[in-house]
Amino acid sequence: MSNIDLNLSIGGPQGGGIDTSSNLISRAFASSGYNVLGVREFHSNIKGRHSYVHLRIREERPRSLKYPLDFLVALDPDTIFEHLEDVATGTVVLYDTNDEKAELAQARMIMRDTAKRINSTLQENKLELNVKGALALMKNRGAKIMGIPFSKVLEGTELDGPATRYYNVLGASLTLSIIGLDQKFTRDSLKHIFGNKEKVIALNVKVVDAAYKYCVENGLAGETLPDMDAAPRMLLTGNDGAALGKIMGGLRFQTYYPITPASDESSILEEHEDIKWLSNENEKLSSGGVTVVQTEDELSAITMAEGAAITGARSATATSGPGFSLMAEAISFAGIDEIPVVVTFYQRGGPSTGLPTRNGQADLMFALNTGHGEFPKMVISSGDVEECIYDSMKALNYAQRYQLPVIHLIDKNLANTSDFVPEIDTKKIKVEQSLRTENKTDFKRYTLDTKNGVSPMGIFGKDIFWMTGDEHDELGHVTEDPIIRDRMMEKRFTKLKVADEEIPDEDKVQVYGKKDARITFITWGSQKGVILDSIDALKAKGIEANMLYLKMFEPFPSKFVDKFLKKAGTIIDVESNMTGQAAKVIRMNTGFEVTNFILKYNGRHITEDELVSATADIVSKKKKIVVLENGA
Amino acid sequence: MAHNFRSDVAIDWCPGCGDFGIVTGLTQALTELNYGPNDVVAVSGIGCSGKTPHYLNMAGIHTLHGRSIPYATGVKLANPRLKVIVTSGDGDMLSIGAGHFVAEGRRNTGLTIILYDNEVYGLTKGQAAPTMALGEKTKGLTKPNVFGKVNPITMALSSGYSFVARGFSFDTKHLKDLIKKAVTHEGSSFIDVLQPCPTYNNINTMEWYRSKVYKMDDEKAWDPVVMPEMPAEAANEKFSNAYKRGLEWDDKIPIGVFYDNRAIPSFVKRIAEYVPDYLKNPPAEQIVAGTDGYTNVDPFKTFADRVI
Ligand SMILES: Cc1ncc(C[n+]2csc(CCOP(=O)(O)OP(=O)(O)O)c2C)c(N)n1
Ligand code: SF4
Ligand SMILES: [Mg+2]
Repeated sequence: MSNIDLNLSIGGPQGGGIDTSSNLISRAFASSGYNVLGVREFHSNIKGRHSYVHLRIREERPRSLKYPLDFLVALDPDTIFEHLEDVATGTVVLYDTNDEKAELAQARMIMRDTAKRINSTLQENKLELNVKGALALMKNRGAKIMGIPFSKVLEGTELDGPATRYYNVLGASLTLSIIGLDQKFTRDSLKHIFGNKEKVIALNVKVVDAAYKYCVENGLAGETLPDMDAAPRMLLTGNDGAALGKIMGGLRFQTYYPITPASDESSILEEHEDIKWLSNENEKLSSGGVTVVQTEDELSAITMAEGAAITGARSATATSGPGFSLMAEAISFAGIDEIPVVVTFYQRGGPSTGLPTRNGQADLMFALNTGHGEFPKMVISSGDVEECIYDSMKALNYAQRYQLPVIHLIDKNLANTSDFVPEIDTKKIKVEQSLRTENKTDFKRYTLDTKNGVSPMGIFGKDIFWMTGDEHDELGHVTEDPIIRDRMMEKRFTKLKVADEEIPDEDKVQVYGKKDARITFITWGSQKGVILDSIDALKAKGIEANMLYLKMFEPFPSKFVDKFLKKAGTIIDVESNMTGQAAKVIRMNTGFEVTNFILKYNGRHITEDELVSATADIVSKKKKIVVLENGA
Repeated sequence: MAHNFRSDVAIDWCPGCGDFGIVTGLTQALTELNYGPNDVVAVSGIGCSGKTPHYLNMAGIHTLHGRSIPYATGVKLANPRLKVIVTSGDGDMLSIGAGHFVAEGRRNTGLTIILYDNEVYGLTKGQAAPTMALGEKTKGLTKPNVFGKVNPITMALSSGYSFVARGFSFDTKHLKDLIKKAVTHEGSSFIDVLQPCPTYNNINTMEWYRSKVYKMDDEKAWDPVVMPEMPAEAANEKFSNAYKRGLEWDDKIPIGVFYDNRAIPSFVKRIAEYVPDYLKNPPAEQIVAGTDGYTNVDPFKTFADRVI
């Protein structure tokens, strides 16, 4: 057997080790040379509520996820209830037979409205309001129901503590055996997951062995998949990618106040504060680490990062909507005082606390308009894990080169996407340093004697200069002089004009697919992958489509976008928000009006199946706006 | 020749303002400590007090209202060799910036924090600052103050500041000596400076303070220093003595050092325990690109735990 392409969700209660299950599956397939893409979905809750990981396993790197599932692995009754709509003909539903008794009414961790909906679906189908009923419905829909008595599988296996504690590893192992992954890879992966905890590894190896044995004895084991050759790769999430890119890009000072889905990035930086060097030739170049400070709030996070930036450290902070709201005033300060600082802005479902652990792209306009007054800032966006790496490097560079705040947008879906990255090119992007003064006497930090608007920066400890949030003169002292005010405003905005001229179009906007295709998708952020896959899927149906993929919103590639859209066929804007913000930005900058939209704001990731069918609805002129609703 | 720490910028404070005395005390302290202009950075928030950095001939940032402490912390952590002095108002630090004030006590970064305590919001025309007592009615108020006051000394102590003192802006010599002690203290130091605002505060005037202040340092028995080896009980007593003194206000107002704890490690030291070469090669001084312009970070080794 070859050419596998599996969509698999594994779900269980939060705190029940679902991350370990998905990690085990990903790592095991990795060892065998396959590629796995995953998205983690969870509630704003620590223990008990439903969480799941949707994985896609292929030989080539997957770029997106798809329903219906090939496998649904339920580690608890809630998973069976919650994913009723994700199964179809051929879906294997693997669950613990002990869960068959569970009643829907007892599933108190399911959101009330969700439970009501499941209840009416079961009633409409005249089925029992319990797991049995749910399984019967799945069966009616063509799924292959595979109940396994979990406790029986582990009977006779000597473990430490209750057997249920191992159900996450058991569920994953059963799945791997049924799919046909060689047992040795599953065993090996435990080492990666549990590190040097020998005892834990030994116990879990027993669980893996028991699972494989059970499957063989019961005729469930799949035909062994062939090994693929693969060079070392990295298993990285969007959060990981941003953290790694920041370190490579010279970040040495990061601040944060905990918030989902941003603070994972800062924890990852903390875990890797001890940098490993390519060469040890120069002491100043190959020593030091990343200082990460957890601050008292986001007001402090942004201002502390700016303080460090002024002093000469490459600095950044990471936050999401609620925290970014608190940072607005200081971003304006970085604008007037020309401070190179990066804010990695992880978008989640708003407004307010909104859907704190779910996806969203509703902060584009906010990022563009943040901060009072008019000042230059840059706004860039990433759409896959590799882009998170390189864009983080670029963001730090832009901040240095143009001495301004750079806002780097990453959506929750991407932050929690795990992907296998085959290589990282350390020679792709140079690490740029800001223009600096050379110990001048009578140093003017904000000299107007500049063509591109950039004045050399001073460094505290070496140069004397002043800064103020007030309008200032060349020295940095407060001024309200009308002429100087005009010159300073113009100087600052010159930088944005120069940035627009200097930065090549491909760093701002990219076109994928044939130029003269019948359909053009416009998007940004994490929809990149699913649109690329949908383009392939449409092509198989004989429909040619392409994608205008936006990466930079300030400065905005107006000319390019305008020219491209004027020649395009049916244009469809695809975003994870309700109001089509990127389309608004296009109209604002070019006057071009987009009228077809595929939008999703339920906080879940967009999948290929729903995108393709929504496209058909638009092309057939059935609808102008399609709202996507997939996802548990 | 000693550096002249006064810049050539014209000071626009009202005549008779207590702020002048703080600049005098501060510049004299820095001169006597033999500091050069590149050893120190001044950081302020917004208010009359916030203008201070412009009047000093050394690097300075006049930041946002309430945010002087986190900006200053960023400066200090990026380059711990710098002496960082915060010069901000009571509205700035104890109202809009109160969260940072408390957090800084917990950090003990190593900042010198000078509070311009005039009990009013000077620059916005005399509204009540958090240091003004309940029921007081100064010139700028339409009715007596409806808020209770915070006590900067006990607030600093409870927040964890390792050096807590009070000065009077019209006793510049005494203030200068306090600033010298504060700047050379390893952890974060806090000086509450009684700073008359003749324009808006007609109650807590220079004369009013003159008639009430007395110096704790004059008392032979007063010893606020906690040394690293000191037993917990003795150290706690120093703290409670400081706290009790901090409550004195109505008849007599103590100035001088309330508390000087040298046993608490600074935040800089705590970071240095984790971040490799932090003191030798701090964030502001690290070179981040090789001569070829590219990163010297090895991604696969640095993120070895993610390699599959
Ligand atoms: C965010 C914000 N809110 C309000 C203001 C207006 N404002 C300027 S100064 C000030 C009060 C200053 O009082 P204080 O900190 O006691 O300084 P003082 O003038 O008394 O030295 C206020 C509220 C501001 N600059 N920024
Ligand atoms: S208003 Fe008060 S604090 Fe401000 S300068 Fe005038 S006297 Fe000083
Ligand atoms: Mg005040």
